[in-house]
Parts: sequence; C-alpha cells; structure tokens
Amino acid sequence: MPPFDKSQPTNKRFKQRKSFATRRQEVAGIRSKFPNKVPVIIERYEREKFLPPLDKTKFLVPHELTMTQFVTVIRNRMALLPSQAFYLLINNSGLPSMSLTMAQVYKDHQDEDGFLYMTYASQEMFGR
Amino acid sequence: MNSVSPSAAQYVGGVMQDELVESRRQQPPERQNSFGLRLPQTPDTSREATREPDEMDRLKAKMMSAWNNVKYGWTVKSKTSFNKISPVTILGHSYLLNSEDEVERFRLAFVSRIWLTYRRDFPQLEGSTWTTDCGWGCMLRSGQMLLAQGLLVHLMPRDWAWPDAQQLTDVDFEVFRPRSPARAGGVPIPSFGSPRGSNTPEKSLSSSQASRCGQKKWPESVKDRQAEPIHHKLVTWFGDQPLAPFGVHQLVEIGKGSGKKAGDWYGPCIVAHILRKAVAKTSVVQNLAVYVAQDCTVYREDVVRLCDLSLSQTVPDPSSQAWKSVIILVPVRLGGEALNPSYIECVKNILKLDCCIGIIGGKPKHSLYFIGFQDEQLLYLDPHYCQPMIDVTQVNFSLESFHCSSPKKMPFNRMDPSCTIGFYAKNKKDFESLCSAVSMALSSSKEKYPVFTFVEGQSQDYGLEGHSSNHSGPAAHILPPGKLGRSNNRSNSDEFVFL
Repeated sequence: MPPFDKSQPTNKRFKQRKSFATRRQEVAGIRSKFPNKVPVIIERYEREKFLPPLDKTKFLVPHELTMTQFVTVIRNRMALLPSQAFYLLINNSGLPSMSLTMAQVYKDHQDEDGFLYMTYASQEMFGR
Repeated sequence: MNSVSPSAAQYVGGVMQDELVESRRQQPPERQNSFGLRLPQTPDTSREATREPDEMDRLKAKMMSAWNNVKYGWTVKSKTSFNKISPVTILGHSYLLNSEDEVERFRLAFVSRIWLTYRRDFPQLEGSTWTTDCGWGCMLRSGQMLLAQGLLVHLMPRDWAWPDAQQLTDVDFEVFRPRSPARAGGVPIPSFGSPRGSNTPEKSLSSSQASRCGQKKWPESVKDRQAEPIHHKLVTWFGDQPLAPFGVHQLVEIGKGSGKKAGDWYGPCIVAHILRKAVAKTSVVQNLAVYVAQDCTVYREDVVRLCDLSLSQTVPDPSSQAWKSVIILVPVRLGGEALNPSYIECVKNILKLDCCIGIIGGKPKHSLYFIGFQDEQLLYLDPHYCQPMIDVTQVNFSLESFHCSSPKKMPFNRMDPSCTIGFYAKNKKDFESLCSAVSMALSSSKEKYPVFTFVEGQSQDYGLEGHSSNHSGPAAHILPPGKLGRSNNRSNSDEFVFL
C-alpha cells in the first residue's frame, strides 16, 4: 500500500526509533522545563487506511486539558469532519473517557519511559 | 441463477468457510436428508466447482465430516448448539432453554426480529450498474436491521411477537459439560423445539404445530395479530426500491454525501450517520429522531434539543407528548487490531438492557447484527444470504424472507472492535432511565474507563471554543488545520508540539 512506505523514517514506531534511555532523557528534560505539561506520543494505527498521517508525534499537553479538547485539537489538525470516525486508543487497546483530563490519563497510563502512548484509528469497513 | 450468494464462492476460497454452510442452511427443507442435515446440493456444487477447483475437495471434506458426525452420533457442525443450563439473552430478555415454554419464548424473540439480507435483481442503483448489494452492502443491511428493530419498538405493541414466526431450524439444545471427555461433538439431548417433546431432533425442525401452540399459550397474540398491518408497512420501508425511505437505494444515495458510492464497503459509524439522515429525511415515521454520538460521548443536552419539541415550536406545547422518541447510536472502537477482551463484560451488560436495540459490527470485514449472547458467544443475524428482491409494493407480499429461523453464534473474541451500539427511548422518562441504566452497564468494564459516557450539556460547551474562553493559555497555540503539518519540514518533526 503506497501510503505506508512513503515516509520511511517516520514509518517506524517511536519506541523503535529511540532507545529507552533516550526516551527517558527526553521526558526528564521536558518535564523539568514544563512541569505542568505531560509528554504524549500520538501515532497512527499501523493498519489505518482512512485517516491521514500526523506530521508530528510528540505533543506537550497541559494537565487540565480534557480528552475531548485534546481529540478536538487532533481532529482539527487533520481537518476531519465531526461525523468522521476518530478514536484515540491508549496503548493501542483501551478507549480513554472523554471527560478525563490529560493529567488523569497520564497518571494511569504513562509508559515506563515517561511518555503517554496513544494510537489513533478510524473504524474498519465491512463488505464481505 | 442459484440461490446462493455470489459471495459464497469467496467464502469457500477464503477464510470464512463456515459461511458457506450458513448460506446452504437456507435451502428449502425438502432438500434435507433423513438425518436433518443440509448437505450441499449437487447442482450448486458442480456449478461452483467449475469456478473453484479447490472447492470440490473442501466440500468433500465437509461432507465426510458431516457423515462422520452422523456415524458417531455427534452434533452436526452447521447446527447452532444452545446451552440449556445457562441463559441466552436477546435484547434485554433472557431465556433459560430448559423448558418448552422458554424455548418457545426464545423462538418468538429471535424469529420476530427483522432480518434484512443481500438482495439481487432490484432496480439499478442510481449512478451505477449495480442491481444487487451482494458482496458489498452487508454493513448497510446490518444498519437496516438495527433501525428496523428501533422501529419495531417504536411502533409495535410492547413485547410484540410475530404470530406467524417460523419454527427454529438448525438448532440444538443441550447441556454443555465443558470438562467431560465426551464433549467432542456434544451429545445431543432431546430438543424442546417440538411442542410434543419429540425425542428426535430432526422432527423439531419441521412442523408448524408450535406456532399454533404458541398462540394458545400467549393470549397477547391477538394484539400481535392486530399489529400485523404495521409490521407489513414497516418492512415496505426497507424494500429494495428507490422510493423506500430506508431501502438500500436511499441509504446509498445518502451515503454519497459522505463520499461513499454503490459497491463501496461501509463502516458502522458512516452507517449510523446515514440512518440518522434517512430518518430525518422521511415523513413516514413520525415522532422519531436519531442521535449519533461523537467521540464516544452522548451530550444529554443535545439529545434533549433533538427530542423536546417544545423547544422548537413557536407556540410551546405544555403537554408531555411534545417529546420525540429517539434512537441513540454510539459508534465505538473497542480495541486496536482485535477486540480488547476487557470490554466483553460490558458488551454483554449492554445487550442485557431493555433499551438496547442491538449492535452493528461483525467479524473482520464481515458485518453482522448482534442481538444477544450466550456464555462466551454472541448471537447474531447475518445479512450474508443473497435473496431475490421482493416487490414490497404488492399487497400481501410474503414476510417470510424478512425473518430468520436459524439463530447463529460466534465467539466474542472474533468480534471486530469497530461497531455501533444502538439504544431506543420512547419518551423523556425513558431517556432518563436509559442514561442511568446504560451508565451502570458501562461501568462494569474491566478496563479502567467506560466505552463511552453520558455528559450534561451540549457538545459545543466542551469543545475548544469553550476551552479558549475559560483558559487563556493553551488555545493560543492551537493552529488552524493544515497550516502546521505540510509547511514544516522533516527536520523538526521530532520536536514537541506545544498545546
């Protein structure tokens, strides 16, 4: 599929691109400078066919931002219509509740390296 | 033309082999052999075998295994076995299939659901050469079934059952003994499908005695009989004709607004919006609105604005009647590649709710309409059966092909994570109890957060506009769509985006 091998460097998942030590360092650095923000990695679900790739993967998000607001930001960056399916999955499996703040989600689901990992996906199509 | 869906050939070649059997099960009963098995018919077989050389071998293997099943007295694979010692749930009602009464209630509950399948030889879909939806329209069909269920609850008497519901076919009721070594195929225990308690399962498949018996047992069937004209009418709305308000022709037409066309595959979220627009567009259904949740959130105030007619009327009507009934559709994604197993309990709890009208989703690529479950298996209606189009404009057209007599199950772990969950609330009070009942069911998830949530207020209260007015900080960093991405070069793609 063409969309997947277009940009080779960003094709690799963030965790594969950087060692654990580097990731930890990055988090430590940014957290010391911005203690009121949480570092979040947003990547496209590997088999996503409909949503465009995001130009950025690393986000620094204010604690008090709710999931709803965060999703709106990402939706806007992709210029999605409200009716288009868009889901952020924590660690590629669970749906975060939209009323939660980023600080709550971060507290519950941050990775060992200090980042919060989220995958975005639309819905699958059916037809057979 | 044979009566097997053209896509059946794909199932044989592909991974979905069991669907071939499912298609076959619909063959007329006289084609059963004396064991009550439905073996593949020779004409179909030869025809398809010329297309698929592999298929002959597969069918042979299938027949051999069926024969072995007979030889060793095992349950035939194509039958659906129901456990007699654990309840089966259909849309908020549970049945323990250990007595004739309960089996009868289960039969009525299952067969009374409206079954919409692939159809062929219908008027050409505008702007295309398609005269069938076989092989692509299954998600639309599942969506139709979900809407039809909503309309049944909306229009028919409470707990309505179709008085002419067929007998169940291809089912066994048995006691599952998971640890027993004899469980290999399950020793069939005499079926209760037949009202006379016949000991031979095949007999329970045939007679129509039970429907007569059912009428005796269920006095409300007079009321149900009186509702038959509405039942007929409701089915005509799903007819395969351009003018039918919820027919494939209309739905495909509406889908064009979302960039879909005839022959495309559809997803559960798109179909939810298509249904919403179809209901808004038609005048045949009065007093009903469809609400589709966005981002896994139901904004209660948005639902109220949709339903409370006194808000939109110039002269407010103080009567409590000024409230539209509502179908609430919640598109979700319950995992990445596969269903997150911690959501299974939650899906079960939703299907146990009275207000639930089912879930449209499926196995990967293969849409199904889920209406219930038993143990670790979902109960569904399958649209993958290609039937000739029925002209619903004819007076007294037959309803038989719009109801399914063979319940099918599949394991929860094969469920595709993408789906849309449906609910119905008749009035304001109903809506309020729906909110609390559903919230309760959702909190049962083993996952830390619920699958979706109900919140007070309107969606716009929670959007970015609201945020930027309350907090001066973050919103300033949010750039308009498109501006950021493409203009930045790759070298700083590794920097943090500040929100």
